[in-house]
Amino acid sequence: MTQAIGPETIIEGLREAGIDLLATLPDINLYEVLSRVAKDPDFIHVPLCREEEGIGVCAGAYMAGKRAAMIVQNGGLLNSCNALASTALHFQIPMLLLVYYAGDIGDRTFATVGSVTEPVLRGLGIRYYVPRRLDEVKSTITRAQILAEDSRYPVAILLTRDILEA
Amino acid sequence: MKRWDCLQAIAGEVGDALTLSAAACYLEWRVLRPSDGNFRIRTLGLGSSIALGLALCLPNRKIVVLDGDGALLMNLCALPTIARQSPRNLVHIVFDNERYEGSGGIPTATAAGTDIAAVARGAGFKHACTVRTVEDFKKEALAALERNELSIIVAKVEPGNAAVPPAEMDEVECKYRFVRHIERTENVKVIRTHLPTTYTKKRD
Repeated sequence: MTQAIGPETIIEGLREAGIDLLATLPDINLYEVLSRVAKDPDFIHVPLCREEEGIGVCAGAYMAGKRAAMIVQNGGLLNSCNALASTALHFQIPMLLLVYYAGDIGDRTFATVGSVTEPVLRGLGIRYYVPRRLDEVKSTITRAQILAEDSRYPVAILLTRDILEA
Repeated sequence: MKRWDCLQAIAGEVGDALTLSAAACYLEWRVLRPSDGNFRIRTLGLGSSIALGLALCLPNRKIVVLDGDGALLMNLCALPTIARQSPRNLVHIVFDNERYEGSGGIPTATAAGTDIAAVARGAGFKHACTVRTVEDFKKEALAALERNELSIIVAKVEPGNAAVPPAEMDEVECKYRFVRHIERTENVKVIRTHLPTTYTKKRD
């Protein structure tokens, strides 16, 4: 059993950022985060079947005056590219993308997915941040939300295993 | 049965519902029901997911998505996701002409027998039906609008679009008008603005 300071910090960051709705899809490395989300009455929780739906759900939530974020694996980010381009970017809709960075350095999972993650975000013109220290996780989330709102674009935060297992 | 006739049958019945539609369906709907509460979908199939987000965050507002068979099949997994939440204020209407109308008319899976209402029931929709006449469509649509439970209506329509003018604004302006309409009618803030730093930063 992990101490799960990292997952707890992520939840606190989302709360401080004023996030109302979370669209999620599991990955084993997101288990601690998502089990907290499921139990937390402060968030409207929308479990997804496929990540691209989540871009629509977050867009709808935004247009209803809420702040929305999606929590998925980076494979799910790849699944979401069309909706990101033709809904989130096209309509200028802010949302946070909290993406587990599978295949990051030292992470024995999907190295190929890891290798294309940052280039895809750059290709989409989506600004992204990779907090490496636990003490920068919360401020990265709250500041990314400010950036998303001001730029009216999605902003991504790549969550490494080191952070998720901290 | 034509989509235009179905849309005409419900245009005066949707009240202040927020609606989502795409392509030719949007162009027809905005003529029949002009309103800033009409959102124009851009991503094929994403309308029902956007509608879910709206429905969950505005639980006292009726949300109507005017979908198509090709669009719905593109985002089929939206059905179990929506059924899992079962928002009481969401009405999902699917105009099934059994083809990718906007992409040249190539047949969709419904032309080979896929039954969208059955798929929806299997996904967990308690209220799902298929209609083939304008009278039945109007009856079922009104029942769905009054029911206050998640419903899906599959309207089997013939191919073809009505002669309508182009939209008078682009999609981004459509979004701004849509969110301003929501701000006005729901008393919420969507577009958040802040004073520039000149006003807020302290100096000696």
